[in-house]
Amino acid sequence: MKRQSVLLSVLLLLALLVSACTSAATPAATPTASPIVMTDGLGRTVTLAQPAQRVVSLAPSNTEILFAVGAGSQVVGRDNFSNYPPEALELPGLGDFMGFSIEQIVALNPDLVLLAEIHPPELVKSLEDAGLTVYYLKNPLAMEEMYPMLITVGELTGHKAEAEALVTQLSLRVAVVQQKLANIEERPTVFYEIDGTDPSKPWTTGSGTFIDTLLEMAKAENVGRAMDSQYGQMSIEALLAADPDFILLGDANFGVTPEQVAARPGWGELTAVKEGRVLPFNDDLASRPGPRLVDGLEELARLLHGVTLP
Amino acid sequence: MKGRTVHPIWIALAALLAALLLSMLVGSVSLSLVDMARVVAARLSGGEIGADLRVADTILFSLRLPRTALVALTGSALAVSGAAYQGLFRNPLADPYLIGVASGAGLGAVIVLSLRWGYDVAGLLAVPLASFSGAVLTVLMVVSLARVGRSLPVTNLLLAGVAVNSFAGALTSFLLLRSTGELRRAIAWLMGGSSMGGWQPVLAVLPYWLIGLGILMTMGHALNVMQFGDEQAQQLGLPVETTRWIIIGVSSLATAAAVSFTGIIGFVGLIVPHLLRLLVGGDYRRLLPLSLLGGAAFLLLADVLARIVMTPQELPVGIITALTGTPFFLWILRRSRSLPYWS
Repeated sequence: MKRQSVLLSVLLLLALLVSACTSAATPAATPTASPIVMTDGLGRTVTLAQPAQRVVSLAPSNTEILFAVGAGSQVVGRDNFSNYPPEALELPGLGDFMGFSIEQIVALNPDLVLLAEIHPPELVKSLEDAGLTVYYLKNPLAMEEMYPMLITVGELTGHKAEAEALVTQLSLRVAVVQQKLANIEERPTVFYEIDGTDPSKPWTTGSGTFIDTLLEMAKAENVGRAMDSQYGQMSIEALLAADPDFILLGDANFGVTPEQVAARPGWGELTAVKEGRVLPFNDDLASRPGPRLVDGLEELARLLHGVTLP
Repeated sequence: MKGRTVHPIWIALAALLAALLLSMLVGSVSLSLVDMARVVAARLSGGEIGADLRVADTILFSLRLPRTALVALTGSALAVSGAAYQGLFRNPLADPYLIGVASGAGLGAVIVLSLRWGYDVAGLLAVPLASFSGAVLTVLMVVSLARVGRSLPVTNLLLAGVAVNSFAGALTSFLLLRSTGELRRAIAWLMGGSSMGGWQPVLAVLPYWLIGLGILMTMGHALNVMQFGDEQAQQLGLPVETTRWIIIGVSSLATAAAVSFTGIIGFVGLIVPHLLRLLVGGDYRRLLPLSLLGGAAFLLLADVLARIVMTPQELPVGIITALTGTPFFLWILRRSRSLPYWS
């Protein structure tokens, strides 16, 4: 009897706890003169009373875009992987994909939280529940789709003109590369290594990724396209059979060097290894859907075709 | 006798209250006690919340409170189901995931996570719904593989559980390797780091929790009798098969509902009943309600740690429970060798 009454009181306590809090009112938005109304990558309508002055960016690509369109001084927080431009490192890190501190984001009192396609819809929901304004940027599939993202971020932060100027400048640089590569007939084959921790089957990328798009634009043949997935492990045997002209080390940022690659069992047979065409590559230039994709394209043109660019 | 039965309950209740309080007070943002008191006072009196308190109010009532409630419900569901399974299987290694809840929930979640879902009701509920159905279907599969006519031999259940668990685990690993992009989210989910906040998860879990744990609380005597073995229990007048079906049914539902929102949190269902058994003995009439309070308190404390050890990053709480749980479990094993507390 006693046990049951104790239990009952615990249940009552919890029930009270729950009911007391569900009835709490949510604060209403204040209407203003000329709000910014935009539809984000999830089809949500996002309304800002004025250009965002306190922005939290939770993806490295978003941080790069914000700084590139001139809104760097309005960024008040970032995810732990946002490391470019260097000024971004001075901002407080708020967590990474394993978990963001919603509390710390709320405490920064941002008027806009900029998310990207790496974030789950649950995060959008959690931030909204905390009363924050969220804009979700969808990944571009081609270079041309990246430009509107820059304009969007410019509009959200009140830097539309700068964003448009940036787009003009970037598309000009892309046009220069394309012109320099216009007469190239022979397309070199490239193996792009994402992670070679297991040298018998390194991770690479198939079609449908930024890396593949950039290789295509740089007039190269991605040998990873033989796989049917976007990311996967290719066996060293398949790599030997493909015998690519170049091996790009996207894992160079993690300390992998061409010397280490040459020492891997079986890799010495590869033409690229024998002829010294194993090259470190800054993966951030190819994996973050932002303005530095153009840097990546230029770098590929230099490395694969020996093109000189300004 | 009476004094002794009341005593541990009050201690556990005090521990739970302390854990609830801690879970509200501690987070990656430290709020001053004065601000918190002012927010609570404003909420209780129904007055306006000042602009300077808006952040504190959001953190306390929109973030910490629903999370605290969900964690408490999950911890208690796992611990009570664990205690009931240990009694049902008469096996100290039994936990609520023994016959497929976790592997099924994981498979369901990873299947859905490998697809892309939009931001709408279906998209947000896809993962919890898939993991809940995965868990229930897997348990049904184990039970139907194990049953012989209308009876459910425990050894069959254990073996079928092991087999189906490995099968579902292999499928999950395969999907993870094939996954493009959502991998990290899936891994976080499998470690008990689900990020869905708000009150909806709490309200969705609550009915299963109330019914499941309500029924399990009445099973103390039956579980005590079952410790004598099936035949003895039958002779003592206990409908052994019916009891077994009921316990498996309600434990599975409560556990499945709990993990579908939080992800798979290990060791709570194993450790908490063992710890309590060491403290108060093996009487299930005491063990079950104590597990309810103790499970909630333990998981709340683990969640507080998960929030602050790597601040601002939040760790999946399953990592904390396993990190604190593994050494503890080994200690239990050593202890039980010298002192056979399990009988």
